[in-house]
Amino acid sequence: MHILPKADLRRLTGALAERYALYGPVCHEVSGEVIFDLVDDPSRIDLDIPIPYNPPKGVVFPQAERIMSFSYDRASKAAAIEPEALAAPKALVGLRSCDLNGLLCLDRFMLGQEYVDEVFLEHRKKMFIVSNTCVHPFPQCFCVCTDSGPAAVEGFDLDLTDIGGEYLVLTGSAKGEELVRGLGLAAAPAAKAALRAKAVEASVALFDAQAKDNKAWISRAVNRLTTGFIPHEVWEYIGDQCFECGACAFVCPSCSCFNIEDAAEGEGRSCRTRAWDSCSFEGYARMAGDHNPRKAVEDRRNKRFFCKLSFSQSRKYLRPGCVGCGRCVRVCPGDIGLPNVVTAIRRESTKQVPHE
Amino acid sequence: MSETGSKAIVTVPAVAVIDEVRDEIEDVKTFYFSFEDPAVGASFRVRSGQFIMCTVFGAGEFAVSLPFSPESDRPHLSVRQVGKVTRALHDLRPGDKIGVRGPFGNGFPFEEIKGKNVIYVAGGIGLIPLRSSIVHVLQHRKDFGRILLIYGSKTAKELMYRYMIDEWKKTEGFETYFTIDNPEPGWDDRVGFVHTLIAPASVPVKDTVAFVCGPPLMFNAVIGELGKAGLKDEAIVSTLERHMKCGIGKCQHCAIGRTLVCTDGPVYTYRQIKTLGEQI
Repeated sequence: MHILPKADLRRLTGALAERYALYGPVCHEVSGEVIFDLVDDPSRIDLDIPIPYNPPKGVVFPQAERIMSFSYDRASKAAAIEPEALAAPKALVGLRSCDLNGLLCLDRFMLGQEYVDEVFLEHRKKMFIVSNTCVHPFPQCFCVCTDSGPAAVEGFDLDLTDIGGEYLVLTGSAKGEELVRGLGLAAAPAAKAALRAKAVEASVALFDAQAKDNKAWISRAVNRLTTGFIPHEVWEYIGDQCFECGACAFVCPSCSCFNIEDAAEGEGRSCRTRAWDSCSFEGYARMAGDHNPRKAVEDRRNKRFFCKLSFSQSRKYLRPGCVGCGRCVRVCPGDIGLPNVVTAIRRESTKQVPHE
Repeated sequence: MSETGSKAIVTVPAVAVIDEVRDEIEDVKTFYFSFEDPAVGASFRVRSGQFIMCTVFGAGEFAVSLPFSPESDRPHLSVRQVGKVTRALHDLRPGDKIGVRGPFGNGFPFEEIKGKNVIYVAGGIGLIPLRSSIVHVLQHRKDFGRILLIYGSKTAKELMYRYMIDEWKKTEGFETYFTIDNPEPGWDDRVGFVHTLIAPASVPVKDTVAFVCGPPLMFNAVIGELGKAGLKDEAIVSTLERHMKCGIGKCQHCAIGRTLVCTDGPVYTYRQIKTLGEQI
C-alpha cells in the first residue's frame, strides 16, 4: 500500500486526465446535488462528498446512445450500415464499492454470457477505475447486507481509503502500479496500512448502529424469489404502490434493460439508438398486434426484484444484482425501494409459518 | 447455438437483397432473400427453429422466425404486417435491401427425435415457424414413424402455405387434418377449433413428439387435449414469440420468468414452459 496526501489528489486526477476522459463525483453548481459526471477540471472531483445521485453506469451504458447509422437509397438500391465509432478511454474516479460492484455485475452480464455486447465492450475496455472506501455509511445505504461494501475487493486499478489527511492507496492492477510509480507515492508503513481494515470495521459498526429502515435481510427474499413462493398479495401491494415511473431502474447500478429504436433522418439516412428501459413500463413486453403478456402492473413490478435477488439472475452476475446503494429507496415515490420489498416478502411469508 | 457451430452476425446487420416476394394469405408475404456479400451467405448457417433480427431501413428491426429448411430451401421469411416495421417491410419489392442479424436461438430438436412419431399442431400463422421442421422431417421420412399435421385457422383463406401442404401430402404417410372455426361456402372439411381434431386424429402417444404453435388460447386448448391423449409434458415442444430488441440476451425484453426467449429459446418443451411461472 502507498500513501497519497489528500492535497495531492489533484496530481492523481490530473495524471489520469492526460490520458483519459475523466469522470467522478462532483457537486452540481446550481442544485448542490452530487452527481457522477464527466469533468473538465480535475480539481472539481471531490471524494468527501456523499454518494452521487446517479450511478456510474451511464459512463459504460449511456442513457441514450446512437449505436449505428444506416443509409439506403431506394432508387439505386445502395445500402450501407455503419456502427458508431469507438469510445474514448475513460477514467472513473471515486467509485463507491457498491457502484464498482454494480459495474462488475454489468461486466458479467454484458460480457460474460453466451454473447458479448460489443457496444458495452467498446465503452468498458481501456478503462481506469479508482475506488473510494466508504469510511462512514450514508443514510440510505445497505451494502453491508448485500456483500458489496463498504470497501472494494476487486475490479479497481487503484483504491483509496481516507485515513484522515491522507489516503491509503491500494493497487489492483499493473496499470495502477504504473501510475503509483509515476506519481512517486511513498509506501505506507505497516501501521498505517492496517488502518484500511480498521476503517472498514468502523464503517460496518456505524451502519449497524445507525441503519433502521434500510437494513435489508435479503436471505429469505432470495429464497422466496428463486422458488416463487411469494403470496400474490405481496405483489398486489407492491403493484399498488408502484407509480411505474422507472426511476428505480434508472438509478440502479446494475439494471441494464434497454430498448432499441430506429429513426429516419431524411434522405435515406436513419440511425439506431439504444436507451435505458424499465420492466415497470406497461409497453415493456407488448408485441406488435397488441398482445401484452405483462399487462397488469403486479405482473411487471415483481420482475425487477426477481432480477435483483433471485438465484437464477445472481448466477449471471456471480452475486446478487442488488448492491445496496440505496438509490431506489431515495427516488421511489411509492416507498417500495428494495429494503421495503424485502421486508414485505419477509413479513408476509413469516405469517405462513405455523406458530404454536 | 447453430448446429454447425457457425458464427452468428451479432451486432451489425449484414445487407441482404430481397430476390422475390410472394403473396401468401391476406397481410402475409414471403420474402426470399440472399446476402449482398456472398461470403456472408456462405457462412450463414441456420438450424431449423432459429430466428433472425430483420432491419427495414428507416423503420426499425424485428425478430422473426425462419420458415426455411436449412437443407433444401432458399432463405426466406414469411411475415404478417402487424406493426410499423412489418408494414414497412411489406412495402418493399424485389431488389430492395434489408439488414439481417443472426441466426439466434436454440432451434428445434431433430437428431433427438429420430425414430419417433411427429405431430405438428398449428393455428393460423403459427404454421410459419413450424414449416422448417416439417420440411426437414418429411425429407427424412424414413427416420420417423407417423407424421401428422393438424392445422386450423379462423377462415379458409387464412390457412398458410396451402400450395406447399399439397406438395407435402405427396410424401407417403403424411397425415393431414384441417379445420376452420366456422362453416363457410366451398369448405367441405372439418369445422371447429384446432384442439377438437386431436381426439379424431387418434394421435400416437408412445415414442411421440408434438410440435405446437399458435395463439395462446389455441395453444392452451391443444396442450390440454394432448395431455388427455396421454402425451407427457416433455414430449410437447413449442416455439415462443416475445418482444425482442437485441436477440442476444442483453435487452431482457423477452424474459419469461428466469428464461430469455432469445438465447434459451425460442424452442421450449411444455414441461419447461410450465415452470416459467409467467404468462406466455
